[in-house]
Amino acid sequence: MSMFDIWSGILGGFRITASVTLYGLIFAVPFALVFGVAQYLTTGFARFLVTSVIEFWRSSAVVILLFVFYYALPVVGVTLSAMTVGAMVLGLNTAGYASQAVRAGLQALDRGQKEAGQALGLSRAAILLLIELPQALRAMSPTFINLVIQLVKATSLVSLITLTDMTFRAKEIAQVEYDPVPVYLALLLSYFMVCYPIALFGRWVERSVNPVREASRGI
Amino acid sequence: MSSSTAMTAMNLRFQKDSLCMQDPRQNLAVEIDALHKWYGAFHVLKGIDLRVAHGSRIVICGPSGSGKSTLIRCLNGLEAYRQGTIMLDGTRLGEDAVQTALARRQTGMVFQNFNLFPHLSVLANCTLALRRVAGMARTEAEALAHHYLEKVRIPEQAHKYPAQLSGGQQQRVAIARALCMSPRLMLFDEPTSALDPEMIREVLDVMTELAHDGMTMICVTHEMGFAREVADEVVFMDQGSIVEQAVPATFFSAPSHPRARNFLSTLLH
Ligand SMILES: Nc1ncnc2c1ncn2[C@@H]1O[C@H](COP(=O)(O)OP(=O)(O)OP(=O)(O)O)[C@@H](O)[C@H]1O
Ligand SMILES: [Mg+2]
Repeated sequence: MSMFDIWSGILGGFRITASVTLYGLIFAVPFALVFGVAQYLTTGFARFLVTSVIEFWRSSAVVILLFVFYYALPVVGVTLSAMTVGAMVLGLNTAGYASQAVRAGLQALDRGQKEAGQALGLSRAAILLLIELPQALRAMSPTFINLVIQLVKATSLVSLITLTDMTFRAKEIAQVEYDPVPVYLALLLSYFMVCYPIALFGRWVERSVNPVREASRGI
Repeated sequence: MSSSTAMTAMNLRFQKDSLCMQDPRQNLAVEIDALHKWYGAFHVLKGIDLRVAHGSRIVICGPSGSGKSTLIRCLNGLEAYRQGTIMLDGTRLGEDAVQTALARRQTGMVFQNFNLFPHLSVLANCTLALRRVAGMARTEAEALAHHYLEKVRIPEQAHKYPAQLSGGQQQRVAIARALCMSPRLMLFDEPTSALDPEMIREVLDVMTELAHDGMTMICVTHEMGFAREVADEVVFMDQGSIVEQAVPATFFSAPSHPRARNFLSTLLH
Protein backbone atom coordinates (compact mmCIF):
# COMPACT_ATOMS: atom_id res chain seq x y z
CA MET A 1 0.00 0.00 0.00
CA SER A 2 1.33 3.39 -0.95
CA MET A 3 1.37 6.26 1.51
CA PHE A 4 -1.42 7.80 -0.54
CA ASP A 5 -3.60 4.68 -0.26
CA ILE A 6 -3.08 4.56 3.48
CA TRP A 7 -3.97 8.16 3.79
CA SER A 8 -7.11 8.03 1.67
CA GLY A 9 -8.14 4.94 3.62
CA ILE A 10 -7.86 6.91 6.86
CA LEU A 11 -9.73 9.87 5.40
CA GLY A 12 -12.58 7.46 4.65
CA GLY A 13 -13.26 7.77 8.40
CA PHE A 14 -13.31 11.56 8.29
CA ARG A 15 -17.08 11.72 7.93
CA ILE A 16 -17.55 9.81 11.20
CA THR A 17 -14.94 11.88 13.03
CA ALA A 18 -16.59 15.07 11.81
CA SER A 19 -20.09 13.80 12.67
CA VAL A 20 -19.16 12.84 16.22
CA THR A 21 -17.54 16.25 16.66
CA LEU A 22 -20.53 18.19 15.29
CA TYR A 23 -23.16 16.13 17.12
CA GLY A 24 -20.95 16.39 20.20
CA LEU A 25 -21.08 20.17 19.91
CA ILE A 26 -24.88 20.00 19.70
CA PHE A 27 -24.77 18.43 23.17
CA ALA A 28 -21.90 20.56 24.43
CA VAL A 29 -22.91 24.12 23.58
CA PRO A 30 -26.35 24.23 25.25
CA PHE A 31 -25.16 22.23 28.25
CA ALA A 32 -22.13 24.47 28.80
CA LEU A 33 -24.19 27.66 28.52
CA VAL A 34 -27.08 26.50 30.68
CA PHE A 35 -24.98 24.90 33.39
CA GLY A 36 -22.28 27.59 33.41
CA VAL A 37 -24.93 30.30 33.79
CA ALA A 38 -26.86 28.24 36.34
CA GLN A 39 -23.77 27.78 38.46
CA TYR A 40 -23.16 31.54 38.29
CA LEU A 41 -26.70 32.47 39.28
CA THR A 42 -27.68 29.83 41.83
CA THR A 43 -26.75 29.50 45.48
CA GLY A 44 -27.17 26.89 48.19
CA PHE A 45 -28.78 23.57 47.36
CA ALA A 46 -29.64 24.47 43.75
CA ARG A 47 -26.00 25.30 43.16
CA PHE A 48 -24.94 22.01 44.72
CA LEU A 49 -27.19 20.12 42.28
CA VAL A 50 -25.87 22.04 39.28
CA THR A 51 -22.28 21.50 40.38
CA SER A 52 -22.90 17.77 40.89
CA VAL A 53 -24.14 17.33 37.32
CA ILE A 54 -21.18 19.29 35.94
CA GLU A 55 -18.70 17.32 38.03
CA PHE A 56 -20.20 13.99 36.95
CA TRP A 57 -19.54 14.77 33.28
CA ARG A 58 -16.25 16.53 33.85
CA SER A 59 -14.62 14.10 36.23
CA SER A 60 -15.69 10.71 34.88
CA ALA A 61 -13.33 8.85 32.58
CA VAL A 62 -14.63 9.15 29.04
CA VAL A 63 -13.66 5.59 28.05
CA ILE A 64 -15.63 4.14 30.93
CA LEU A 65 -18.68 6.28 30.18
CA LEU A 66 -18.57 5.16 26.54
CA PHE A 67 -18.56 1.50 27.60
CA VAL A 68 -21.26 1.99 30.22
CA PHE A 69 -23.62 3.82 27.91
CA TYR A 70 -22.98 1.58 24.92
CA TYR A 71 -22.65 -1.87 26.43
CA ALA A 72 -24.29 -1.70 29.87
CA LEU A 73 -27.43 0.38 29.26
CA PRO A 74 -28.93 -2.13 26.80
CA VAL A 75 -28.95 -4.62 29.70
CA VAL A 76 -31.53 -2.42 31.44
CA GLY A 77 -33.45 -1.94 28.22
CA VAL A 78 -32.03 1.38 27.00
CA THR A 79 -30.38 1.08 23.61
CA LEU A 80 -28.65 4.08 22.11
CA SER A 81 -26.81 4.12 18.79
CA ALA A 82 -23.03 4.25 18.90
CA MET A 83 -23.15 7.71 17.31
CA THR A 84 -25.54 8.99 19.99
CA VAL A 85 -23.45 7.55 22.81
CA GLY A 86 -20.20 8.90 21.33
CA ALA A 87 -21.58 12.39 20.70
CA MET A 88 -23.30 12.58 24.08
CA VAL A 89 -20.42 11.32 26.23
CA LEU A 90 -17.72 13.32 24.46
CA GLY A 91 -19.94 16.37 24.08
CA LEU A 92 -21.02 16.49 27.71
CA ASN A 93 -17.51 15.82 28.96
CA THR A 94 -16.26 18.80 26.95
CA ALA A 95 -19.27 20.79 28.14
CA GLY A 96 -18.26 20.11 31.74
CA TYR A 97 -15.02 21.98 31.10
CA ALA A 98 -16.68 24.64 28.96
CA SER A 99 -19.30 25.37 31.63
CA GLN A 100 -16.47 26.30 33.99
CA ALA A 101 -15.11 28.72 31.40
CA VAL A 102 -18.58 30.26 31.07
CA ARG A 103 -18.91 30.62 34.85
CA ALA A 104 -15.39 31.99 35.29
CA GLY A 105 -15.94 34.45 32.45
CA LEU A 106 -19.12 35.73 34.09
CA GLN A 107 -17.53 35.96 37.52
CA ALA A 108 -14.53 37.86 36.18
CA LEU A 109 -16.67 40.74 34.93
CA ASP A 110 -16.59 43.97 36.88
CA ARG A 111 -19.54 44.17 39.29
CA GLY A 112 -20.20 47.64 37.88
CA GLN A 113 -21.42 46.13 34.60
CA LYS A 114 -24.37 44.46 36.27
CA GLU A 115 -25.02 47.52 38.43
CA ALA A 116 -25.04 49.84 35.41
CA GLY A 117 -27.63 47.54 33.82
CA GLN A 118 -29.74 47.54 36.98
CA ALA A 119 -29.53 51.31 37.25
CA LEU A 120 -30.87 51.57 33.69
CA GLY A 121 -33.83 49.41 34.67
CA LEU A 122 -32.87 46.31 32.68
CA SER A 123 -34.25 42.99 33.93
CA ARG A 124 -31.88 40.35 35.30
CA ALA A 125 -32.37 38.27 32.14
CA ALA A 126 -31.61 41.24 29.89
CA ILE A 127 -28.47 42.04 31.89
CA LEU A 128 -27.30 38.45 31.51
CA LEU A 129 -28.07 38.17 27.80
CA LEU A 130 -27.11 41.64 26.60
CA ILE A 131 -24.33 42.70 28.96
CA GLU A 132 -22.73 39.83 30.83
CA LEU A 133 -22.77 36.87 28.42
CA PRO A 134 -21.51 38.76 25.35
CA GLN A 135 -18.49 39.97 27.32
CA ALA A 136 -17.84 36.66 29.07
CA LEU A 137 -18.08 34.59 25.89
CA ARG A 138 -15.75 36.94 24.04
CA ALA A 139 -13.18 36.80 26.79
CA MET A 140 -13.41 33.01 26.85
CA SER A 141 -13.35 32.42 23.10
CA PRO A 142 -9.72 31.11 23.09
CA THR A 143 -10.70 28.56 25.75
CA PHE A 144 -13.70 27.41 23.71
CA ILE A 145 -11.57 26.88 20.61
CA ASN A 146 -9.13 24.84 22.72
CA LEU A 147 -12.00 22.67 23.86
CA VAL A 148 -13.27 22.09 20.31
CA ILE A 149 -9.80 20.94 19.29
CA GLN A 150 -9.69 18.64 22.31
CA LEU A 151 -13.08 17.28 21.33
CA VAL A 152 -11.87 16.44 17.81
CA LYS A 153 -8.93 14.52 19.23
CA ALA A 154 -11.08 12.79 21.83
CA THR A 155 -13.37 11.44 19.10
CA SER A 156 -10.65 8.85 18.40
CA LEU A 157 -12.11 6.99 21.41
CA VAL A 158 -15.33 6.20 19.56
CA SER A 159 -13.43 3.54 17.63
CA LEU A 160 -13.84 1.55 20.87
CA ILE A 161 -17.61 1.44 20.38
CA THR A 162 -17.53 0.21 16.76
CA LEU A 163 -17.67 3.56 14.95
CA THR A 164 -15.44 3.58 11.87
CA ASP A 165 -13.79 6.93 12.39
CA MET A 166 -10.27 7.86 11.25
CA THR A 167 -8.64 5.99 14.14
CA PHE A 168 -10.72 2.87 13.47
CA ARG A 169 -9.65 2.96 9.82
CA ALA A 170 -6.02 3.34 10.78
CA LYS A 171 -6.22 0.34 13.09
CA GLU A 172 -7.77 -1.73 10.29
CA ILE A 173 -5.07 -0.72 7.83
CA ALA A 174 -2.34 -1.33 10.40
CA GLN A 175 -3.57 -4.90 10.75
CA VAL A 176 -3.13 -5.68 7.05
CA GLU A 177 0.07 -3.69 6.63
CA TYR A 178 3.15 -5.11 8.32
CA ASP A 179 4.56 -1.70 9.20
CA PRO A 180 2.33 0.38 11.50
CA VAL A 181 4.68 3.40 11.47
CA PRO A 182 3.52 5.05 8.21
CA VAL A 183 -0.10 4.29 9.12
CA TYR A 184 0.04 6.11 12.44
CA LEU A 185 2.11 8.91 10.94
CA ALA A 186 -0.65 9.38 8.39
CA LEU A 187 -3.23 9.33 11.18
CA LEU A 188 -1.30 11.96 13.11
CA LEU A 189 -1.21 14.14 10.02
CA SER A 190 -4.93 13.62 9.45
CA TYR A 191 -5.87 14.92 12.91
CA PHE A 192 -3.50 17.82 12.46
CA MET A 193 -5.17 18.68 9.16
CA VAL A 194 -8.55 18.81 10.90
CA CYS A 195 -7.43 20.68 14.00
CA TYR A 196 -5.13 23.29 12.53
CA PRO A 197 -7.86 25.00 10.47
CA ILE A 198 -9.98 25.11 13.64
CA ALA A 199 -7.12 26.86 15.44
CA LEU A 200 -6.81 29.36 12.58
CA PHE A 201 -10.56 29.87 12.60
CA GLY A 202 -10.34 30.46 16.35
CA ARG A 203 -7.76 33.19 15.89
CA TRP A 204 -9.95 34.85 13.30
CA VAL A 205 -12.96 34.65 15.63
CA GLU A 206 -10.94 36.16 18.46
CA ARG A 207 -9.92 39.08 16.30
CA SER A 208 -13.36 39.73 14.92
CA VAL A 209 -15.23 39.60 18.24
CA ASN A 210 -12.97 42.22 19.74
CA PRO A 211 -13.81 45.25 17.63
CA VAL A 212 -12.36 47.66 20.17
CA ARG A 213 -8.87 46.27 20.11
CA GLU A 214 -9.01 46.02 16.32
CA ALA A 215 -10.22 49.54 15.83
CA SER A 216 -7.81 51.10 18.28
CA ARG A 217 -4.92 49.39 16.55
CA GLY A 218 -5.76 51.50 13.52
CA ILE A 219 -5.35 54.80 15.36
CA MET B 1 -34.28 77.81 61.47
CA SER B 2 -32.84 78.29 58.01
CA SER B 3 -35.18 79.10 55.16
CA SER B 4 -34.56 75.80 53.44
CA THR B 5 -35.50 73.82 56.53
CA ALA B 6 -38.69 75.84 56.77
CA MET B 7 -39.41 75.08 53.13
CA THR B 8 -38.83 71.42 53.72
CA ALA B 9 -41.17 71.40 56.69
CA MET B 10 -43.79 73.17 54.63
CA ASN B 11 -43.36 70.70 51.81
CA LEU B 12 -43.75 67.88 54.25
CA ARG B 13 -46.98 69.23 55.71
CA PHE B 14 -48.30 69.87 52.23
CA GLN B 15 -47.51 66.32 51.26
CA LYS B 16 -49.19 64.85 54.31
CA ASP B 17 -52.33 66.86 53.53
CA SER B 18 -52.47 65.70 49.95
CA LEU B 19 -51.61 62.08 50.47
CA CYS B 20 -54.43 60.82 48.27
CA MET B 21 -53.88 63.28 45.46
CA GLN B 22 -52.52 61.77 42.27
CA ASP B 23 -50.30 64.58 41.02
CA PRO B 24 -46.78 63.28 41.68
CA ARG B 25 -45.45 66.85 41.84
CA GLN B 26 -47.04 67.11 45.25
CA ASN B 27 -44.49 64.64 46.53
CA LEU B 28 -40.91 65.26 47.41
CA ALA B 29 -38.41 63.83 44.93
CA VAL B 30 -36.72 61.91 47.72
CA GLU B 31 -37.74 61.38 51.30
CA ILE B 32 -35.48 59.29 53.49
CA ASP B 33 -36.61 58.47 57.02
CA ALA B 34 -34.51 56.89 59.77
CA LEU B 35 -32.52 54.79 57.31
CA HIS B 36 -30.26 52.15 58.84
CA LYS B 37 -28.00 49.69 57.11
CA TRP B 38 -25.52 47.12 58.30
CA TYR B 39 -22.78 45.22 56.49
CA GLY B 40 -22.71 42.16 58.71
CA ALA B 41 -22.03 43.60 62.16
CA PHE B 42 -20.81 46.91 60.75
CA HIS B 43 -23.35 49.71 61.12
CA VAL B 44 -22.81 51.73 57.91
CA LEU B 45 -25.83 54.03 57.90
CA LYS B 46 -27.04 55.15 61.30
CA GLY B 47 -30.45 56.74 60.95
CA ILE B 48 -30.28 58.95 57.87
CA ASP B 49 -33.04 61.53 57.36
CA LEU B 50 -32.99 63.51 54.15
CA ARG B 51 -35.59 65.38 52.13
CA VAL B 52 -35.01 66.50 48.58
CA ALA B 53 -37.56 68.65 46.77
CA HIS B 54 -38.06 68.39 43.03
CA GLY B 55 -35.55 70.48 41.14
CA SER B 56 -33.10 70.85 44.01
CA ARG B 57 -29.43 69.93 44.00
CA ILE B 58 -27.83 68.25 46.96
CA VAL B 59 -24.11 67.72 47.32
CA ILE B 60 -22.99 65.02 49.74
CA CYS B 61 -19.45 65.09 51.03
CA GLY B 62 -17.52 63.58 53.87
CA PRO B 63 -14.45 61.52 54.66
CA SER B 64 -13.75 58.17 53.00
CA GLY B 65 -15.80 55.35 54.47
CA SER B 66 -18.47 57.63 55.89
CA GLY B 67 -21.21 55.85 53.92
CA LYS B 68 -21.80 58.28 51.04
CA SER B 69 -21.73 55.64 48.30
CA THR B 70 -23.82 53.27 50.39
CA LEU B 71 -26.48 55.94 50.88
CA ILE B 72 -26.66 56.90 47.23
CA ARG B 73 -26.73 53.24 46.16
CA CYS B 74 -29.66 52.60 48.51
CA LEU B 75 -31.56 55.29 46.61
CA ASN B 76 -31.83 53.22 43.45
CA GLY B 77 -32.00 49.81 45.04
CA LEU B 78 -28.42 48.73 44.32
CA GLU B 79 -28.10 48.14 48.07
CA ALA B 80 -30.85 46.78 50.27
CA TYR B 81 -31.48 48.54 53.56
CA ARG B 82 -32.62 47.04 56.82
CA GLN B 83 -34.58 49.75 58.61
CA GLY B 84 -36.32 52.97 57.72
CA THR B 85 -38.02 54.11 54.53
CA ILE B 86 -37.03 55.62 51.23
CA MET B 87 -39.76 57.32 49.24
CA LEU B 88 -39.01 58.28 45.65
CA ASP B 89 -41.63 60.68 44.37
CA GLY B 90 -44.18 59.21 46.76
CA THR B 91 -43.41 55.58 45.99
CA ARG B 92 -41.84 53.49 48.69
CA LEU B 93 -38.69 51.82 47.44
CA GLY B 94 -38.46 48.11 48.14
CA GLU B 95 -42.07 47.55 49.11
CA ASP B 96 -43.50 46.26 45.86
CA ALA B 97 -41.31 45.00 43.04
CA VAL B 98 -43.33 46.61 40.25
CA GLN B 99 -43.52 50.02 41.94
CA THR B 100 -39.84 49.82 42.80
CA ALA B 101 -38.92 49.05 39.20
CA LEU B 102 -40.97 52.03 38.05
CA ALA B 103 -39.45 54.33 40.64
CA ARG B 104 -36.03 53.09 39.68
CA ARG B 105 -36.63 53.68 36.00
CA GLN B 106 -37.08 57.36 36.85
CA THR B 107 -33.70 57.49 38.55
CA GLY B 108 -30.44 57.82 36.63
CA MET B 109 -27.08 56.86 38.11
CA VAL B 110 -23.57 57.93 37.19
CA PHE B 111 -20.72 55.90 38.68
CA GLN B 112 -17.20 56.84 39.65
CA ASN B 113 -15.67 54.50 37.08
CA PHE B 114 -18.24 55.12 34.34
CA ASN B 115 -19.33 51.47 33.94
CA LEU B 116 -19.94 51.84 30.22
CA PHE B 117 -20.57 48.59 28.36
CA PRO B 118 -17.23 47.99 26.60
CA HIS B 119 -18.66 45.64 23.97
CA LEU B 120 -21.16 48.22 22.71
CA SER B 121 -20.59 51.42 20.76
CA VAL B 122 -21.32 54.74 22.43
CA LEU B 123 -24.62 54.90 20.59
CA ALA B 124 -25.58 51.34 21.55
CA ASN B 125 -24.68 52.10 25.19
CA CYS B 126 -27.23 54.92 25.05
CA THR B 127 -29.98 53.06 23.19
CA LEU B 128 -29.81 49.70 24.99
CA ALA B 129 -32.25 50.56 27.78
CA LEU B 130 -34.41 52.73 25.52
CA ARG B 131 -35.01 49.73 23.32
CA ARG B 132 -35.12 46.95 25.92
CA VAL B 133 -36.78 48.74 28.82
CA ALA B 134 -38.76 51.53 27.21
CA GLY B 135 -39.50 49.40 24.14
CA MET B 136 -38.63 52.21 21.75
CA ALA B 137 -38.02 51.61 18.03
CA ARG B 138 -34.43 51.76 16.83
CA THR B 139 -34.57 54.99 14.82
CA GLU B 140 -36.44 56.80 17.56
CA ALA B 141 -33.99 55.58 20.22
CA GLU B 142 -31.00 56.62 18.12
CA ALA B 143 -32.44 60.07 17.54
CA LEU B 144 -32.91 60.52 21.28
CA ALA B 145 -29.40 59.20 21.99
CA HIS B 146 -27.94 61.66 19.47
CA HIS B 147 -29.83 64.46 21.17
CA TYR B 148 -28.27 63.67 24.55
CA LEU B 149 -24.81 63.03 23.10
CA GLU B 150 -25.02 66.52 21.66
CA LYS B 151 -26.07 67.82 25.03
CA VAL B 152 -22.93 66.36 26.63
CA ARG B 153 -20.96 67.69 23.64
CA ILE B 154 -19.70 64.49 22.03
CA PRO B 155 -22.06 63.83 19.11
CA GLU B 156 -19.10 62.94 16.89
CA GLN B 157 -18.09 59.97 19.08
CA ALA B 158 -21.35 58.05 18.65
CA HIS B 159 -19.86 55.17 16.68
CA LYS B 160 -16.71 54.69 18.72
CA TYR B 161 -16.27 52.17 21.51
CA PRO B 162 -15.75 53.25 25.13
CA ALA B 163 -12.10 52.13 25.13
CA GLN B 164 -11.37 54.63 22.37
CA LEU B 165 -12.51 57.61 24.45
CA SER B 166 -10.79 59.64 27.16
CA GLY B 167 -12.02 59.31 30.73
CA GLY B 168 -13.84 62.63 30.56
CA GLN B 169 -15.57 61.63 27.34
CA GLN B 170 -16.53 58.26 28.82
CA GLN B 171 -18.10 59.90 31.84
CA ARG B 172 -20.05 62.25 29.60
CA VAL B 173 -21.33 59.24 27.63
CA ALA B 174 -22.38 57.70 30.95
CA ILE B 175 -24.32 60.87 31.75
CA ALA B 176 -25.96 60.85 28.31
CA ARG B 177 -26.81 57.17 28.73
CA ALA B 178 -28.59 57.90 32.01
CA LEU B 179 -30.37 60.97 30.60
CA CYS B 180 -31.76 58.93 27.70
CA MET B 181 -34.18 57.25 30.10
CA SER B 182 -35.61 60.69 31.01
CA PRO B 183 -34.94 60.34 34.73
CA ARG B 184 -36.53 62.75 37.18
CA LEU B 185 -33.68 62.27 39.61
CA MET B 186 -29.98 61.93 38.84
CA LEU B 187 -27.55 60.33 41.27
CA PHE B 188 -23.81 60.89 40.93
CA ASP B 189 -21.24 58.96 42.95
CA GLU B 190 -17.92 60.84 42.74
CA PRO B 191 -18.28 61.28 38.98
CA THR B 192 -14.97 63.11 38.61
CA SER B 193 -12.68 61.40 41.09
CA ALA B 194 -11.37 58.85 38.55
CA LEU B 195 -10.49 61.61 36.11
CA ASP B 196 -7.34 63.56 35.33
CA PRO B 197 -7.60 67.21 36.40
CA GLU B 198 -7.94 68.54 32.85
CA MET B 199 -11.00 66.34 32.25
CA ILE B 200 -12.81 67.20 35.48
CA ARG B 201 -13.91 70.57 34.13
CA GLU B 202 -15.69 69.16 31.06
CA VAL B 203 -17.73 66.76 33.20
CA LEU B 204 -18.57 69.40 35.79
CA ASP B 205 -19.67 71.77 33.02
CA VAL B 206 -22.14 69.19 31.76
CA MET B 207 -23.42 68.63 35.30
CA THR B 208 -23.77 72.35 35.91
CA GLU B 209 -25.78 72.73 32.73
CA LEU B 210 -27.99 69.87 33.84
CA ALA B 211 -28.55 71.64 37.16
CA HIS B 212 -29.52 74.86 35.35
CA ASP B 213 -32.05 72.84 33.34
CA GLY B 214 -33.78 72.07 36.63
CA MET B 215 -32.81 68.43 37.08
CA THR B 216 -33.10 67.07 40.60
CA MET B 217 -29.59 65.94 41.50
CA ILE B 218 -27.86 64.23 44.38
CA CYS B 219 -24.10 64.30 43.92
CA VAL B 220 -21.46 62.75 46.05
CA THR B 221 -18.45 64.89 45.23
CA HIS B 222 -15.51 66.66 46.75
CA GLU B 223 -15.49 69.32 44.04
CA MET B 224 -16.22 72.21 46.36
CA GLY B 225 -16.30 74.76 43.54
CA PHE B 226 -19.14 72.82 41.99
CA ALA B 227 -20.92 72.57 45.34
CA ARG B 228 -20.64 76.34 45.90
CA GLU B 229 -21.92 77.09 42.41
CA VAL B 230 -24.86 74.71 41.97
CA ALA B 231 -25.83 73.10 45.28
CA ASP B 232 -28.93 74.16 47.14
CA GLU B 233 -27.69 72.27 50.14
CA VAL B 234 -24.50 70.59 51.21
CA VAL B 235 -24.81 67.45 53.30
CA PHE B 236 -21.78 66.43 55.34
CA MET B 237 -21.60 62.79 56.41
CA ASP B 238 -19.31 61.18 58.95
CA GLN B 239 -19.32 57.64 60.29
CA GLY B 240 -22.72 56.78 58.85
CA SER B 241 -24.59 59.89 59.98
CA ILE B 242 -25.43 63.27 58.52
CA VAL B 243 -23.66 65.61 60.90
CA GLU B 244 -24.24 68.87 59.06
CA GLN B 245 -26.68 70.06 56.42
CA ALA B 246 -26.64 73.64 55.23
CA VAL B 247 -26.76 75.98 52.24
CA PRO B 248 -23.30 76.24 50.65
CA ALA B 249 -22.66 79.79 51.87
CA THR B 250 -23.14 78.70 55.47
CA PHE B 251 -21.41 75.38 55.09
CA PHE B 252 -18.24 76.87 53.62
CA SER B 253 -17.99 80.02 55.69
CA ALA B 254 -19.17 78.83 59.08
CA PRO B 255 -19.48 75.06 59.40
CA SER B 256 -20.88 74.42 62.84
CA HIS B 257 -19.65 70.89 63.40
CA PRO B 258 -15.96 70.44 64.29
CA ARG B 259 -15.63 67.38 62.05
CA ALA B 260 -16.98 69.37 59.10
CA ARG B 261 -14.50 72.17 59.87
CA ASN B 262 -11.74 69.63 60.07
CA PHE B 263 -12.80 68.02 56.77
CA LEU B 264 -12.92 71.38 54.96
CA SER B 265 -9.47 72.33 56.17
CA THR B 266 -8.02 69.04 54.89
CA LEU B 267 -9.64 69.65 51.50
CA LEU B 268 -8.05 73.07 51.25
CA HIS B 269 -4.55 71.72 51.84
N1 LIG C 1 -20.01 45.36 50.39
C1 LIG C 1 -19.49 45.77 51.56
N2 LIG C 1 -19.28 44.88 52.56
C2 LIG C 1 -18.78 45.29 53.74
N3 LIG C 1 -18.44 46.55 54.02
C3 LIG C 1 -18.62 47.48 53.08
C4 LIG C 1 -19.14 47.14 51.80
N4 LIG C 1 -19.21 48.26 51.06
C5 LIG C 1 -18.74 49.25 51.83
N5 LIG C 1 -18.38 48.80 53.04
C6 LIG C 1 -17.87 49.60 54.16
O1 LIG C 1 -18.85 50.53 54.49
C7 LIG C 1 -18.27 51.78 54.78
C8 LIG C 1 -18.90 52.86 53.95
O2 LIG C 1 -18.56 52.62 52.60
P1 LIG C 1 -18.93 53.64 51.45
O3 LIG C 1 -18.42 53.07 50.20
O4 LIG C 1 -20.36 53.97 51.52
O5 LIG C 1 -18.09 54.91 51.87
P2 LIG C 1 -17.86 56.28 51.10
O6 LIG C 1 -18.28 57.36 52.02
O7 LIG C 1 -18.49 56.21 49.77
O8 LIG C 1 -16.29 56.33 50.97
P3 LIG C 1 -15.35 56.79 49.75
O9 LIG C 1 -15.21 58.26 49.88
O10 LIG C 1 -14.07 56.10 50.02
O11 LIG C 1 -16.00 56.35 48.49
C9 LIG C 1 -16.77 51.62 54.58
O12 LIG C 1 -16.17 51.48 55.84
C10 LIG C 1 -16.65 50.37 53.77
O13 LIG C 1 -15.47 49.69 54.11
MG1 LIG D 1 -17.73 56.09 47.77
